[in-house]
Amino acid sequence: MGKLFWEIVDRTMTGPIMKEDEFENEFFPTKIAEIVAKHKIEFDPAEPIMCDPDLADEIFQAGLELLLEVGLYCKDTKRIVKFTEEEIKEVISTRKNEVTFGKDRDAVTLKPRAPGDKQHPYTFFPAGIVTRDVNKYKLHALTVAQEPTCDGLIPLPLAGIGEIRPASGTPTETLIALTEAHLMNEVTSWVGRPGLFRGIPMSATTPVALMSVFASGLYNKHNCCMSTQILQDLRINYDRLNLAHFAQQNGIVPWQSSCAVMHAYLTGPEQAAVELIAHTLGMMAFADGSFTQAMSMTVDGYYFGSEIWWCNSAAALAAERNLKVPWISFGGQGQQVGPLTDESWYAIAAACITACISGMEGMWLCGGPTGLEARWGGEITRAAAGVKVSDGIAIIKKIAKKCNAPKHEPVPLTELYDLKTMQPNDKYLNHYKKFTKIFKDMGLDYPAWD
Amino acid sequence: MAQISDLRKVVGELKQKESEEITKELLAQGLDPLKVLEDGIVKGLGDVGARFEAKKAIIPDLVKGGIVAKTCIPHVEAALPKGGGDSKGKKILIGTMLSQHNIGKNLVSTFLSINGFEVIDMGSENEPWDFYEKAEEVGVDMIAVSVMFIPAKQKFAELVSMLKEMGVREKYKVIVGGAITTEKWTESVGADGWGAQAKDGVDLAKQLLGVS
Repeated sequence: MGKLFWEIVDRTMTGPIMKEDEFENEFFPTKIAEIVAKHKIEFDPAEPIMCDPDLADEIFQAGLELLLEVGLYCKDTKRIVKFTEEEIKEVISTRKNEVTFGKDRDAVTLKPRAPGDKQHPYTFFPAGIVTRDVNKYKLHALTVAQEPTCDGLIPLPLAGIGEIRPASGTPTETLIALTEAHLMNEVTSWVGRPGLFRGIPMSATTPVALMSVFASGLYNKHNCCMSTQILQDLRINYDRLNLAHFAQQNGIVPWQSSCAVMHAYLTGPEQAAVELIAHTLGMMAFADGSFTQAMSMTVDGYYFGSEIWWCNSAAALAAERNLKVPWISFGGQGQQVGPLTDESWYAIAAACITACISGMEGMWLCGGPTGLEARWGGEITRAAAGVKVSDGIAIIKKIAKKCNAPKHEPVPLTELYDLKTMQPNDKYLNHYKKFTKIFKDMGLDYPAWD
Repeated sequence: MAQISDLRKVVGELKQKESEEITKELLAQGLDPLKVLEDGIVKGLGDVGARFEAKKAIIPDLVKGGIVAKTCIPHVEAALPKGGGDSKGKKILIGTMLSQHNIGKNLVSTFLSINGFEVIDMGSENEPWDFYEKAEEVGVDMIAVSVMFIPAKQKFAELVSMLKEMGVREKYKVIVGGAITTEKWTESVGADGWGAQAKDGVDLAKQLLGVS
């Protein structure tokens, strides 16, 4: 747990009281608006990637100020946990700056990389699909895990097991989370990579289920992280603190994570980027994590587009220059578009190139829930790893308008893969080859593309 | 001299004090209170909602809109004939499921009262059991629920099931509305009616309870 952990616990019981609706509707929105205005942080819709180092430093400073001015709001006690500048600066100065995921030959170690570094961001693929059909879930995961560029898996949440539906906080949630872990272990063994990183238990949300799945040994400190993510807009609760404490006691890497939602309580990408920095510093204070996952979305559920790329790149660059902890962001396209659409593949490429030129160290949920989408995410990330920032931005500008698409219905795996050989069919492979050519023509390359 | 369009404008701009003053001024001019409510306050709130849809406003703006409306509506209510419209002799239980967001619920409550229904307002953040218990205690004719986010949809479905299990489903008409609800979903969970707008609550109540 973090250096300030016990101080934070104490302050949840002694800090100033504020009604939650006052915090979320007045205090937080007013403070973040003031701080963003003071630092003159402005989003330029014509520039999808934020690569200005001076502005990145302003964003970092604004995030620090936001945490100091607002603090962390404890939902359980309605009290605000405040910090001094010295405390947060000590958190920053004593941070860890690398993290190892997975075990033995399947382990990967994420270390700080600068924009344009030849070392590629690591790619963690979505495993499974949101379904109650366990076999279908496993098949999707297998297609992804067998890909050579798979640096780890992020299990998608199982929506149930046959007729069993999850009810939060009941044994059904634990059963489904344990089943997810069984399936991940089976999949990683099947592909001959038992040490592969399994992300976080995505089918569990409550502390009981999360702790149970680690207590079972199916997920453990070598293959999985504990969810300790902050709640929206600088809020915590005792679940967060209990999970951070459990992670520390059991030597499990805490999964520090936040997702800024634009146009809900945040006006746009400027506020979202600042919030991601404040969230990261806040999580480091209570969880002492050695990396963070930071992403953004719009209130209507989009994970790509200029606002998203600007926010994600701005926060990543701010952290790369001022914090240097491994920084992971979202490398997929959400569920708006399907595996055979051009829009989907452009959106994956845009997210991965953004990571490369913004100094990120990893992409989670990179690609999509089929192996070929994952392959695309893994390869485009490696192809773009050494690209100059200006060249990467030029590509993103070229493809930005090609990412948007209406929501598509899911395509069954049987229409994409031969399930006997577990290989993509010709139609799907041709789609992949079309995109390798498009991006090769734009100046990117990867050995397998020949 | 203030116009109703002025009220719509200041409500839309979330100006609490000006909204209250213009409401009072319009009512003092003798304008129909219902028109002040519908064309001034409700349309002003609609403008805030449209800005939110266009990503030009955020949730705190919607909440502020609710506060502005709450400041104005008592003046409208006070200007209505005593007892609102002719009493319909029907009791309606109203509340939000789980959520704190009560702007829509408050508007429906006001419209129902104005139209002569006796409204028992349970406020915000209710669970299915709260609706059942209160309905049985008071002996209402209808239960009206505001559903504003996904977990509340599941809870609303639970409420309908619970009423069936307790053998009281036929005693109450059950209606629902709220940002994330649809007519199709309402039918799928077995409720009696769905309203897209706050005003629809009155039409539904009249129709389902057989009053004019």
